Amino acid sequence: MGLLGQLLYLSVHPNQLRAIIQWKTWHDPVHIRNPSKETPTLRDCFKYLDLTSRSFSAVIQELNPELLVPVALFYLILRGLDTIEDDMTIPLEKKEPYLRNFQNIIEEDGWTFNGNGSNEKDRELLVHFDCVITEFHKIKPVYKDIIKDITEKMGNGMADYANNSEFNINGVDSVKDYELYCHYVAGLVGDGLTRLFVDSKLANPALLQRPELAESMGQFLQKTNIIRDIREDFDDKRRFWPKEIWSKHVDKFEDLFEPQNLEAALNCSSEMVLNSLRHADECLFYLAGIKDQSVFNFTAIPQSMAIATLELVFRNPQIFKKNVKITKGDACDLMTKSSQNLRIVCDVFKTYARRINKRNTPKDPNFLEISIACAKVETFIESIFPSQDPKQMAVAYKAEGQPTGKMPKSESGHHAWMLLFAVLCTLLLISGLMTGIAHLLGAHFGVASTEMGKGNFPPQYTSEANDAQHILHQHDHQDL
Amino acid sequence: MTPVTEKPVSKPTLGNITVIGGCGFLGHHIVNLLHDSYDCKISVIDLFTTRNRRPDSDGVAYYDGDITLTSSLTKIFQKCKPDIVIHTASPTLIGANDALYYKVNVEGTKTVIEACKQCGVKGLVYTSSASVISDTVSDLVNADERWPVIPSSKQIEYYSTTKAEAESAVLAANRSPTLLTLSLRPAGIFGPGDVQLLPPIMKLVPDNKTGFQLGENTNLFDFTYVGNVAHAHCLAARALLATARMSIVPLDHERVDGEAFFITNDSPVPFWDFARAIFKAAGEKRGTEHVWVIGSDVGLILGGVLEWVMWAVGRPSKLTRRQVRYSCMTRYYSCAKAKERLGYAPIVGLDEGIKLGVGAVLEQQQSEREKKSQ
Repeated sequence: MGLLGQLLYLSVHPNQLRAIIQWKTWHDPVHIRNPSKETPTLRDCFKYLDLTSRSFSAVIQELNPELLVPVALFYLILRGLDTIEDDMTIPLEKKEPYLRNFQNIIEEDGWTFNGNGSNEKDRELLVHFDCVITEFHKIKPVYKDIIKDITEKMGNGMADYANNSEFNINGVDSVKDYELYCHYVAGLVGDGLTRLFVDSKLANPALLQRPELAESMGQFLQKTNIIRDIREDFDDKRRFWPKEIWSKHVDKFEDLFEPQNLEAALNCSSEMVLNSLRHADECLFYLAGIKDQSVFNFTAIPQSMAIATLELVFRNPQIFKKNVKITKGDACDLMTKSSQNLRIVCDVFKTYARRINKRNTPKDPNFLEISIACAKVETFIESIFPSQDPKQMAVAYKAEGQPTGKMPKSESGHHAWMLLFAVLCTLLLISGLMTGIAHLLGAHFGVASTEMGKGNFPPQYTSEANDAQHILHQHDHQDL
Repeated sequence: MTPVTEKPVSKPTLGNITVIGGCGFLGHHIVNLLHDSYDCKISVIDLFTTRNRRPDSDGVAYYDGDITLTSSLTKIFQKCKPDIVIHTASPTLIGANDALYYKVNVEGTKTVIEACKQCGVKGLVYTSSASVISDTVSDLVNADERWPVIPSSKQIEYYSTTKAEAESAVLAANRSPTLLTLSLRPAGIFGPGDVQLLPPIMKLVPDNKTGFQLGENTNLFDFTYVGNVAHAHCLAARALLATARMSIVPLDHERVDGEAFFITNDSPVPFWDFARAIFKAAGEKRGTEHVWVIGSDVGLILGGVLEWVMWAVGRPSKLTRRQVRYSCMTRYYSCAKAKERLGYAPIVGLDEGIKLGVGAVLEQQQSEREKKSQ
């Protein structure tokens, strides 16, 4: 969609436009990076961060200063590794040593790599990789060790997959293989980041006792992307959807893209969504362990985007034709909501889980399982933010004691009506006065009535509410 | 070649165990599970022991008995000398009159307690109901055992009033002086042999009435497969026996005696999703494209009007306010306490449970049709 298209779209979707404006004007970063105090090489690193990552760069740059540079370098190093792995123009025998030794390469001052094909989009990063290595040497040894450890594990995992001809020709076979693949490319990142957060005291050390939570954070993001990218990957001759799942619905993987198999393809995609959705409650659990606001935003934003993407791809025929994406307005709305507190992120998850379930159909072989998984998101949220208080209920029953007939009930009902009537009268009086005064001062009510005619009612200003929430969350968050 | 002798799998021992209501819907599932998975001597007491009866070769002793008569009960207890009594007998939620509910649920249970004390029974497991904390109108959201039992003055459903009163008598009898008791509160039991939950929902399929939905269908509801409830009963029996062997009273956070436990499938779903899964298992091919959504308010009014009109005509209403309330209400429980203290976890998933239950009902209907046509 070109700029004109964008503008046209936004002019008929005022909510989307509002969300974008709201994010741009009211988002208040917890920390702001200060480039003037940085070395030229570090500034270069951030330049490549902007180039290589559209979604992560902004949130990384708002991180707590303690972790800003380590996380940025962690990202660039893994991106470098990924760029070598991704490049099909590099022969395997040349590629493998790089993948298996990348944890040592990042210790070599001045190392750069220009073996990438000219079409590789992140080629520039590796051509100038020396700036990353220079800065990597300066960070605290504990952080360095964590990054090296994850780099080693991921590089070896990637090399194993690159060597696996079965995988390269036929794609992923079993669900177990699929999850192992997601572990290498995403679960490990979750593990490394969690260790960074805990070591910098920005997250609850208990997260290290529950490694499955960090794993779920990575799996949820990766699996959701794999579902969304089905068409793009297929065109690039890569198959990540495991055979164990698609073979239940179609005979050949290519059949997923045939219009006459749409029903089967949708059932297959919904089974993939189910598989991903089962991580959602653990992701919320993980977020409950984050203590620092900037780390919370950094971890929560991608998760909210993932649940929204999952809802977007659920039983969506478009995914087999093109790459679908959540709208910019929705993305801004999600970022606003995910940079506040756990409660609001939980509401986001609940809203999207309910939307998924609303589109769930009994014709789907996994109908009830999907329903259970959506409900599980809700029940988990209920377990951390209960909406009912048994103590109050017990007190209420005790206080009421034995019933004394229907009299008090009807009387209180009568009072309520009187009160409502009085309130309405007051409101009418006040609004009448206000309209009168406004008219005397020269107000034109024609504008308002035309707006209402267009359906723009009520006018949607929420900036103040957002402000209030922002203040609230800063207090709220300390309780986490 | 030497014949391969079957390896004896060591089954947990439960001693002498008596299931009251062991020919009923839940009771016979408990008897089956005890027979298959435990090492114990089973006896069954029921009003009629001809239905849901295992073959004599299985060694289950069946006694016709009335739990509202102390003399009848103690006589049987003296014969089968139970270590554990599982008391599941109760009239069904719909179809009995108040006097019968009181007689069986309250008086009957008190008789059982008395007989257990007289005959030196070690443990009594009582089948209560999750409805004891439901006032039939208010939502129950992730409710656990801290939620108060609805006092009789606030309970509209008389069945629940009697279940609550019986449960309180059972729990009060704990350690008086040696009898240990506990109460299980299953939520929405369904499965093979079920006459209350599955058949009316399944009937909507041949009647072509699956095209309605009352309310928004975001209200989560607990339904529990009967096999899981039976499993919980066996675990409870085991836990009471283990407690009886202890010389000291267990710590508060791990004790099972004198306690109530919610038992669910641990997978609440929106009310109509459960119904639709049943429709599907019963042969409905359509999805939701033919469904009309009726708001809960409209539904309540419709139900009210229909109830009056049908009352005037002298026929039961097809839609009642009670049905509307139930299908629009959020009602799910946490079974965390049963998981922690009894080691409970559902052994049959909701989807599988529905397939088993609907399959059994269809089979039964088929055999009834064959009998008729003969």
